[in-house]
Amino acid sequence: MSFFSVRGLSKRFGGLDALDDVSFEVEKGSIFSVIGPNGSGKSTAFNCINGIYKPTVGTIHFEGEQISGLKPHRIARRGLARTFQNIELFATESTVDNLMLGRHQHMRTGLWRGMGMLGRTTRAAREEAENRAHVEQVMETLDLTAVRDRPVQELPYGTQKRVELGRALAMEPKLLLVDEPSAGMNPEERADIGDRLRSLRDDLGLTILLIEHHMQLAIDLADRVLALNFGKVIALGAPDEVRSHPEVIKAYLGDG
Amino acid sequence: MTSRELDHYADVQLLPGKAAVIKLVVLLAVLAVLPFVVPGYRIFTLNYMAIFVIVGLGMSILVGDTGQVSLGHAGFMAIGAYTSVLAMTELGAPFLIALPLAALVSAFFGFLLGLPALRLDGPYLAIATLGFGLAVTLIIGHGSFFGGHMGLVVPDASLGPLPLSGDISHYFLIVGITVVLAIAARNLGVTRVGRAFRAIRDSPIAAETMGVDVAYYKTLSFTVSAAFAGIAGSLLSLMNGFISPGVFSFTLSLMFLAMVVFGGLGSITGAVLGSLVMGYVNLRMDAVQEIPILGPALQNFSDAFMSPSGLPNVGWVLTGLMIMLTIMFEPRGLYGVWLRVEDAVRGLRRRGTRDDTAAGAG
Amino acid sequence: MLLQIVASGLSSGSIYALVALALVITYKTTEVPNFAQGEMAMFSAFIAYVLIVDYNVGFVVAFGAAIVFAFLLGIGFEGLFLRRTKNPTHLNLIIMTLGFQLALFGLAGWRWGADQRQFPFPVSASEVVRFGSVTVSTLSLATISIALVLMAAVFAFFRFTKLGVAMQATQQDPMAARINGVPVRAVVALTFGISSVIGLVAALLTAPLITLDPTLMWDPLLKGFAGAVLGGMNTPVGAVLGGYLLGVVENLFGAYISVEFKSAVAFLIIVIVLWFRPAGLFGRQPARKV
Repeated sequence: MSFFSVRGLSKRFGGLDALDDVSFEVEKGSIFSVIGPNGSGKSTAFNCINGIYKPTVGTIHFEGEQISGLKPHRIARRGLARTFQNIELFATESTVDNLMLGRHQHMRTGLWRGMGMLGRTTRAAREEAENRAHVEQVMETLDLTAVRDRPVQELPYGTQKRVELGRALAMEPKLLLVDEPSAGMNPEERADIGDRLRSLRDDLGLTILLIEHHMQLAIDLADRVLALNFGKVIALGAPDEVRSHPEVIKAYLGDG
Repeated sequence: MTSRELDHYADVQLLPGKAAVIKLVVLLAVLAVLPFVVPGYRIFTLNYMAIFVIVGLGMSILVGDTGQVSLGHAGFMAIGAYTSVLAMTELGAPFLIALPLAALVSAFFGFLLGLPALRLDGPYLAIATLGFGLAVTLIIGHGSFFGGHMGLVVPDASLGPLPLSGDISHYFLIVGITVVLAIAARNLGVTRVGRAFRAIRDSPIAAETMGVDVAYYKTLSFTVSAAFAGIAGSLLSLMNGFISPGVFSFTLSLMFLAMVVFGGLGSITGAVLGSLVMGYVNLRMDAVQEIPILGPALQNFSDAFMSPSGLPNVGWVLTGLMIMLTIMFEPRGLYGVWLRVEDAVRGLRRRGTRDDTAAGAG
Repeated sequence: MLLQIVASGLSSGSIYALVALALVITYKTTEVPNFAQGEMAMFSAFIAYVLIVDYNVGFVVAFGAAIVFAFLLGIGFEGLFLRRTKNPTHLNLIIMTLGFQLALFGLAGWRWGADQRQFPFPVSASEVVRFGSVTVSTLSLATISIALVLMAAVFAFFRFTKLGVAMQATQQDPMAARINGVPVRAVVALTFGISSVIGLVAALLTAPLITLDPTLMWDPLLKGFAGAVLGGMNTPVGAVLGGYLLGVVENLFGAYISVEFKSAVAFLIIVIVLWFRPAGLFGRQPARKV
């Protein structure tokens, strides 16, 4: 039983085949990179995996159970988290509150307990305090403590990306999907994010699925790589193999 | 770097520190004494404003937090009012039962409206809620069971052995409920459910991705918000002694939206402030001429250039302008203005200390 | 009998179709339904009334003046207020139009009071024309014809004039239009102006049927919304068809089921359409990219 597998995934929009028969497997505790030129279907694949799109054909399995066809919030509950390429933060909320959303599924306070939170001994209060402590740790690891109370829309782009990552980590996921983490970053920031992702795998044993446009970063981080073009798989295997694969080179350089 | 032991509860604590406790005690004391200090005929005004606050709290949850538009909240208020009165007249229920029943029935209709709301965004949702509000008034206006255009008379009510007659007894009931609901709404906002609501407003896709069942919470938001309006409706019926469909018009729904916008979407303080202001304006619209200085001036202007009977419409003009100015210049509403004032004061204070240190160093 | 009902349905449907058209052309450009539409039309109609009754101006001149007024009102609202919104989210813009509606309503009520007035329309509602078994009032006839002519003119404008094509382009893709040199801001303002004029015509056709007072356009606006929702809020042709359909269905309902709850048809349609097919009968579902 593989940790995570995609089989025959296809996604059709009207007349357009955004994804066509994509299959791959991810080993637990590894970093798996997905590369390909713009429009090759990478984000579409992510959207299918976390449930925003329903696959037209194909199945997705996580820890032996099928997740394709489930709604995103159910998939999240299975232990799958993801970040977005175009940052989908809760703009007017503070860093802390953004990360606290990551704790949503681990908390149980509902309507009545929430309204009736009077005093620190109530269940709602204790749950808040516990989860805030957890989130505080995540913020520390990502150097976000300084901006904890600032509305995230005021933060610089690079910081926002870290908040986006922090939110996903606050969910305590088993599988993390990271969509173009280094977009818009300079080389230092890129190296930094690479180190962070590596340490997430090494220290926390997190399995990471990574879309990365920057070829070097994708190759450096990955244990295995999948290359897409026009929604189809053109290469799948060890980083160096994929990088030097003729189809991949052609896709990135263009034909003629 | 020093590690600090953060009191995480402080983030969400209602009364963090002695100053806050004192403020609350003072506020409660003022509220308790107010009806005995203020001239008798003004107590009705205070009650009216408090009822608006209750609706405003509900609107804040739905529109401010969850980002869903409602142009039909007068409908929920009507449902609450009529349920309450009919429970008392037809079922012989005491007010103690009629009130929660009104909340329940309104909540149910809120839930019903929440269902189509799941598929609708922005303008479509606004239209749907508009249709709902108007449909409610149409039905209660034409159904003989509801007393038709003439409306219904509210029977005498009591809270257990205590009779609820007269503005003062109404005051303590209404304001008491308002304070409780304000605290409840505030608590809701800072905990898990409130965060889920705001996540839906800011990015439903991200919210769903993080495990928030958007459908559930959207519907919950409508349900809770409707319940608040229903409670307000029930209390309004008590105050007026009489309910009729004409009260629950589209323009009232507009006022409800206006007050949370004007007060500042997304903040309880804003909602309360906006509701107090709009509640007052709505009630006193018929007596514009009584405003000192401005009143007679408007009256004269009105007699000269406008329709003699049209003066109360100034209230609508004012409300409309308040909405427009708020959106154009300070979308955070009164609360935003308050924040700016706070910033300005803080700035002045800082400049003061800087001068001191400069003087000290020199 | 049935034909008679359908005929009067087409007459009221004409008004709904005009309002729906006015709503949809601004909605397509800004993605914001202009809730102030009705009040803008009502106010302009009052201007015409005042000119005719208080200043003894002939109908045609008054009509012309009201058109100019409506046009300027539309442009003014968009340029001076809507555009200046600090944080132009959809919610904020919708609220802007609601505020304007309220202010206009209040202003009209203040200036002219709630007295009900008879609008002096040159075509009478009591004279009738017979087409076989169907009797149609001259007003109804005028309504249907005027509406059709106006709509044809609007569609021709969009299709065949340079400005009209620019407006269509802006509606479909403002960014692309701007890149191609279309003065998007002017176009949006003009759209509001034209929309306001269409609304005015609807108001003038409504006024003779009921009395002229500030609540004149409340019902037509709601019906216009219903028609636009039914037909599809992102297609002008669809919205017009929706308006006519609503008029006919509403009349059938009133004749065969219940006259009292005739207005409920509009609400019912809104709820049903928005539940099952929010894009409307003829509209397209917009997709969202993540």
